[in-house]
Amino acid sequence: MPLDNTSIAAPAKLGRRGFITAAAALTGGLLIGITVPGRARAGVPAASVSPVTAWVSIGTDESVSILVGSSEMGQGIISGLPQVLAEELMVDWAKVTTAHAPAGAAYVNPSSGMQLTGGSNSMRGYFSAMLTAGAAARTMLVQAAAAAMGVTPESCTAASGVVSAPGGKSISYGQVAAAAALLPVPANPVILSSPGHYRLIGTPVARPDIPGKTNGSAIYGIDVVVPGMVYAAIAQCPAVGGTFTALPAAPAGTLGVVPVGKSAIAVVAHDTYTAIRAARSLPVKWSIPKASQAINSAAILSTAKTLMTTGAAVVGESSGDIAKAMAGAAKTLTLTYSVPYLPHACMEVLNCTVSITAAGCEIWAPTQAPGLVVMTAAAITGLPAAAIKVHTMFLGGGLGRKFEQDFIAQAVTVAKALGKPVKLTWSREQDFTHDQYRPFALCRVTAGLNADGSVAAWANRIVSPSILGQRGWVPPGGEDGQAVDGAVGQPYALGARLVDYVAHPCPVPVGFWRSVGNSYNAFVVESAIDELAKAAGMDPLAYRRKLLAGNTRALAVLNAAATLSGWGSAPAAGHARGIAYHESFGSIAAQVIEVTQTAATATQPAQIKLVRVSAAIDCGTAVNPDSVIAQVQSGVVHGLNAALWGRTTFSGGVASPENFDNYRMMRMRDMPRIDVTLVDTGGPIGGVGEVGVPCVAPALANAWAALTGLRVRDLPMFNGGGN
Amino acid sequence: MTTLTINGKQHTVTAPAGTPLLWVIRDFLGLTGTKYGCGIEECGACTVLVDGGVEKSCDMTLADAAGASITTIEGLSPNGTHPVQLAWIAEQVPQCGYCQSGMILAAVALLKQHPKPTDAQIDAAMTNLCVCGTYQRVRAAIHRAAGN
Repeated sequence: MPLDNTSIAAPAKLGRRGFITAAAALTGGLLIGITVPGRARAGVPAASVSPVTAWVSIGTDESVSILVGSSEMGQGIISGLPQVLAEELMVDWAKVTTAHAPAGAAYVNPSSGMQLTGGSNSMRGYFSAMLTAGAAARTMLVQAAAAAMGVTPESCTAASGVVSAPGGKSISYGQVAAAAALLPVPANPVILSSPGHYRLIGTPVARPDIPGKTNGSAIYGIDVVVPGMVYAAIAQCPAVGGTFTALPAAPAGTLGVVPVGKSAIAVVAHDTYTAIRAARSLPVKWSIPKASQAINSAAILSTAKTLMTTGAAVVGESSGDIAKAMAGAAKTLTLTYSVPYLPHACMEVLNCTVSITAAGCEIWAPTQAPGLVVMTAAAITGLPAAAIKVHTMFLGGGLGRKFEQDFIAQAVTVAKALGKPVKLTWSREQDFTHDQYRPFALCRVTAGLNADGSVAAWANRIVSPSILGQRGWVPPGGEDGQAVDGAVGQPYALGARLVDYVAHPCPVPVGFWRSVGNSYNAFVVESAIDELAKAAGMDPLAYRRKLLAGNTRALAVLNAAATLSGWGSAPAAGHARGIAYHESFGSIAAQVIEVTQTAATATQPAQIKLVRVSAAIDCGTAVNPDSVIAQVQSGVVHGLNAALWGRTTFSGGVASPENFDNYRMMRMRDMPRIDVTLVDTGGPIGGVGEVGVPCVAPALANAWAALTGLRVRDLPMFNGGGN
Repeated sequence: MTTLTINGKQHTVTAPAGTPLLWVIRDFLGLTGTKYGCGIEECGACTVLVDGGVEKSCDMTLADAAGASITTIEGLSPNGTHPVQLAWIAEQVPQCGYCQSGMILAAVALLKQHPKPTDAQIDAAMTNLCVCGTYQRVRAAIHRAAGN
């Protein structure tokens, strides 16, 4: 029989006996506390634990538990934010365990005012709050310790979880945590650390979530089991915008079917496999509107081409007299690029577990947006937000997809209809074909060059479906910062410039995909810059340096990547390099990709072979340098997946592919060596999770052009159908 | 009723004989370290060891698994200290971690066959999909576990 594992949905370090429960507010207006029993063994009493503040609990066994407002989806934030807090708390890292915070006002990201993980904004948004939270807890612990020792707090120092007083007296945090928890939380505690004098920040500490991810004990959303739950799968209309005409009878062996809106039907069973299999073969007659049937990739491109010349464009950036500058240019280039719709294809399919009782609604989900989950559930159940409890589970990848609420709403709807707990799991086929895709885009750069190769005029028009427009977050014809992100604000000397945007009306649902607009705008801009360099008769690196002259931060990062790659020396025979530079999410990145190709045979054309990626990133202070390196490595692979093979196509409103057998992605055998160098030019903390992605496609296309003379302007570069 | 031997323990399972081993392990036995990724033997997230060899549990039926000795990630070592697990921690391999149970078990099988694997042998044996792109660290961890 299924086991109840919700009581062990805790970090691995707590062990299977540990558990977390939300407790009532304690002091200082704190909303939610946390209790974490120690590692109880037979005959050994459990350590008692005190929630010193909303963020920190300390046990009598000196264990330190720190909560994290962001969602852990691979980026290491469940380690990174506690590392900042632990800096000021003055505890040893080995004592620290971490866990997701519940959804709650205390845990919103100060920079966005929401509890959601996106925009590479966790470290940027929470850094100061974590330092302050650590300092506040330390101040309370020192105050309690001083009282216990009969000395003044000012005479004490804290280190390694111990408060020391003059004369050799000392007392540990664990001994005074209960007393500290009763003190008011100071609003403006003294921050002891400072840039250049950090103890933990800047060191490559081991992530506490990793052991549990090597032994099977990490609990992801898909792993949640609650007592008495049933299992649901979903059948959604294959075509965009279609609806079912009648609810079919429950298939044999299942517990029933539940309508979810007009476009989806959930099948409920005693196990996931039965539910998924029955959903797949559910006899549903779908009604597909004519407009949906007309949705296909060729038509989408055709419409985009028309909009490129006739569409109503919204200006994203304008400076100088573009017409005059273009007319006066010695040479003009018009370069048109396109990128396809892309699925997210997270390793963990979408899923959500919901239990609705008289007491309220409890949700366990791999979500990037627990704050939105509360709103979603409140709207469906009619319950007040206070009656909805959200448990953010580990995400088996998020990539922007698990910000969305569709799968959450479905699970809440089914649980409400059934009156019993349910875990909804999408099949991989549903996951691929009902994504909220990275938008297709058609982009045209028109550049005017002066005789010396400098840029006199730069026009970049983007035609793409609007993520924000589809949601009604921007009005029709309104500015869309996401669509032009990475196209506007370019640091290059581009003369007169005009960046504008035409919203494509295609109703295929689009969403946030790791690096969002930067994922295609960097491809366009950095491919075009390479083409301009060629037209100017200059080396691509030298050309970029010329256009970035005087920008010391940009040049430091660009040069770091070039140096790492050995750009100054010729590549091996039959090899070539491409370079790209891009600023996004408050950070600066540059990458060089070296490629070669296999010899063509009678049956197979030459194949690209990736040799080496040399990446530089400036994200300011790297809290955990190893995590930053890991994220850049990850971003590179993500970018390679997309640039080489990634695409979702549409025919009759139906998406394909529907599984990994027709969606090639990087595997071990495809991997180049990836070297990452961190550059810190003294800027503020920047984002990391998405910053490694944008440079990849242009650096790769530029390398391929250098190797073969073939300029790829339409992604993906190769056919990725099949493996 | 089918009897399965998983991680050295016998389990009697009521699931239909055609149920994939993956879902037996996850839904009927509550061992959730083995993951669903594709259901068609493409991604390797569901990898387990069957009589020491690598098998994708999404495409092996309960009936076919009966009588075999099956090892899941939970049974690789009593306390998470198998040399491959330790190498994974030392190299800080996992990011989201979802594919890593399968990765680790594939590596265990590779090292059994090739105690000192070459990069080419790693390329050939490690076909599991990792969307986070941890491959470079997976390779380093395998070499570390091999003492290379």
